[in-house]
Amino acid sequence: MIELSDYLVLSALLFSIGMAGIFLNRKNAIVLLMSIELILLAVNFNFIAFSHFLGDIHGQVFVFFILTVAAAESAIGLAILVVLFRNRGTINVGDLDTMRG
Amino acid sequence: MTFEMPQFALAAPEIWLGVMACVVLVADLFDRSKDSRIAFFLTQFTFVVAIWLALSTHWGEGVQHTFNGMYISDNLAGLLKASMAALAALTVGYSRDYLLQRDLLKGEFFLLALIALLGMFVMASAASMLILYMGLELLSLSLYAMVAFDRDSRVGSEAAMKYFVLGALSSGMLLYGMSMIYGASGSLIITEIAATAASGQNGLLLAFGMTFVLVGVAFKFGAVPFHMWVPDVYQGAPTAVSAFLGSAPKIAALALFLRLLVEGLGDLHAQWQLMAIILAVGSLAVGNLFALMQTNLKRMFAYSTISHIGFLFLGLIAGTDEGYAAALFYAISYGIMSAGGFGMIILLSRRGFEADMIDDMRGLNDRHSGFALVMLLLMFSMTGIPGTVGFYAKWMVLQALVEAGLVWLAVLAVVFAVIGAFYYLRVLKSVYFERLEDPMPIEAAMGTRAAMMGTGGVVLLLGLFPGALIAVCRAAFGL
Amino acid sequence: MIEKVIFYVFAGILLAAALLVITARNPVHSALSLVLVFFTSAALWLMAEAEFLGIALILVYVGAVMVLFLFVVMMLDINIAVMREGFSRYLPLGALVAVIMVLQMLLVIGAAGVDLSGFAEATNPALSETNNIRMLGNVLYTVYVYPFELAAMVLLLAIIAAIMLTLRRRGGTRHQDINKQVRTTKAERLRMVRMASEQKNEQ
Repeated sequence: MIELSDYLVLSALLFSIGMAGIFLNRKNAIVLLMSIELILLAVNFNFIAFSHFLGDIHGQVFVFFILTVAAAESAIGLAILVVLFRNRGTINVGDLDTMRG
Repeated sequence: MTFEMPQFALAAPEIWLGVMACVVLVADLFDRSKDSRIAFFLTQFTFVVAIWLALSTHWGEGVQHTFNGMYISDNLAGLLKASMAALAALTVGYSRDYLLQRDLLKGEFFLLALIALLGMFVMASAASMLILYMGLELLSLSLYAMVAFDRDSRVGSEAAMKYFVLGALSSGMLLYGMSMIYGASGSLIITEIAATAASGQNGLLLAFGMTFVLVGVAFKFGAVPFHMWVPDVYQGAPTAVSAFLGSAPKIAALALFLRLLVEGLGDLHAQWQLMAIILAVGSLAVGNLFALMQTNLKRMFAYSTISHIGFLFLGLIAGTDEGYAAALFYAISYGIMSAGGFGMIILLSRRGFEADMIDDMRGLNDRHSGFALVMLLLMFSMTGIPGTVGFYAKWMVLQALVEAGLVWLAVLAVVFAVIGAFYYLRVLKSVYFERLEDPMPIEAAMGTRAAMMGTGGVVLLLGLFPGALIAVCRAAFGL
Repeated sequence: MIEKVIFYVFAGILLAAALLVITARNPVHSALSLVLVFFTSAALWLMAEAEFLGIALILVYVGAVMVLFLFVVMMLDINIAVMREGFSRYLPLGALVAVIMVLQMLLVIGAAGVDLSGFAEATNPALSETNNIRMLGNVLYTVYVYPFELAAMVLLLAIIAAIMLTLRRRGGTRHQDINKQVRTTKAERLRMVRMASEQKNEQ
């Protein structure tokens, strides 16, 4: 049988890959957004695993809402990305250094 | 699973805001005036009614739960909501003139402010992790859009992108923590989490989740070392948005902390106390020291916010109801001061000119002695000089710390407060002792002037007679 | 046993695809890998008896959100070479942070030995006994009516914000004015011209 810890370890690995993605792709805003999706996916794995092993539906409901909000979040994130690109002609986050101090 | 019909009347403030957001959305469509007059006045009317609704539904009615235990109505919710709505009304009042001068005024601004306030309200009376998350996202998503509101500004879109990435990351951390807490306690409801925390079951898993939650909350507060976004966002956003961002959402972040970490995981206080001390001391140090070096006033306010957040955390660290009441008083009074500070920048700005450098404050006394006096009050209050509201805020926090036996932290806090005095007084030096060759008259509209004078009056009045607000803050925690 | 093998195969694909998302040279490849990540996740969710969410993940995420991502990647003319700068510079640090985080999390998860007894039977009969979609539906519109309404506000907010940020009315572009189209009359569209019949000169 698949254990709870199998799911939790998988989720921990996925979460860390997402975090590493944010560290690595500092210059590439669109991959940053994708890394955030990976982190949220890891969270969803946790909720679903706990929900399964607790025999409790509430965790799944939480995932349902995370999916909804994450979709809205990426829509706004991509809109901001488009605005940024129109203003600067790049989505290179490393170039974001107009402000310093 | 049993379902009982919820008492919708308890959620009257949220329902009111949600309905009015839709009304403003439609009404603005038919508004042909250039200054979105209908949206502005409807929004302000909504805020005022929301204050009344929050107090009449929540204050003095005892603790009630509805929506199957997901919604809580208590004194704390009433006070939080009333103060957030009042600050939102004040900052939106400042913003109209500013946006109009820059051809940015669109009905959507007021709509976003309304939805942001709805998110804050939802957080203030959340009794479930799911509701806290939904409220937080309603607030954050509207703030991201507000920061990017000036679509043609390079710094604005840059600030929005940074804010978005770090904000979404912190939401992810918070959620990861919540998922662990759910696993450890088997429930999303805060009271049931508190029961698990008290029983000591799954203690390690709960503490693990709590760590992630604390990091997420610290990000939202802008506490060191999760403060990177604060200066850039405050500087890059349109000043009207910075004013909004710096006031009411801080109270919402406090609501998040109180509901989740105090009411839910209060029994783990000993474990989060150390982490909170690191956050507080780091924020006090970094905030005050970096603020000394700034020449940009908005950036200086950002670092000063970080230092004030450090002070606010000190109240939470004490872990007593007195400490929480002090933190709440601090958040409310800081919200007023911060709104006033950004309001002053808005007041002195005009079309094509941002008065966002400290040098732009030069000779303010010659230009208008009344506004110079308000600036004096604001700076004194931020420093914590007796006679202003900021003094009592700091005083209450220090008192709670000493009572909790953390005298060394109180001493450290006073030292940093003295360092902080330097940069606030430097602004006052510009206001009073530096002269301009030809002082420009102030062009701000009547509404902005009145709001500015009102803010100054409130800072002074609360400084002279703080008793009522202190009593209310203490009553929110049953003291 | 066979379940375990399937789980590990899918988990392996999932992690490999996730790594590809953050290391791929081309953002389009990243986006496509993310699609693979979501597909394998959906399969794993099905194994955890979260059937509805597994299907929703594919429909909502792969079907809508990832298409949005791909659309934006292709719409913006992105210079790939510039974006790769600094990747190798941050690689050691990023990898180190990730490895340390994984180790710490595994330590805690391993040591915690989650004790799920005590609440399991209190809440629900085993999830597998009932239809997953029916169970979700039962609570979603009753117990969770409040967050459900809030989710509606979040979506409304996303619509408003996205349109506000990106909609531009440029001069010179052609717009369709439905109102005008509908109100049009015969007189505006049809002009009767009287002309003489053509002469047949050739013959």
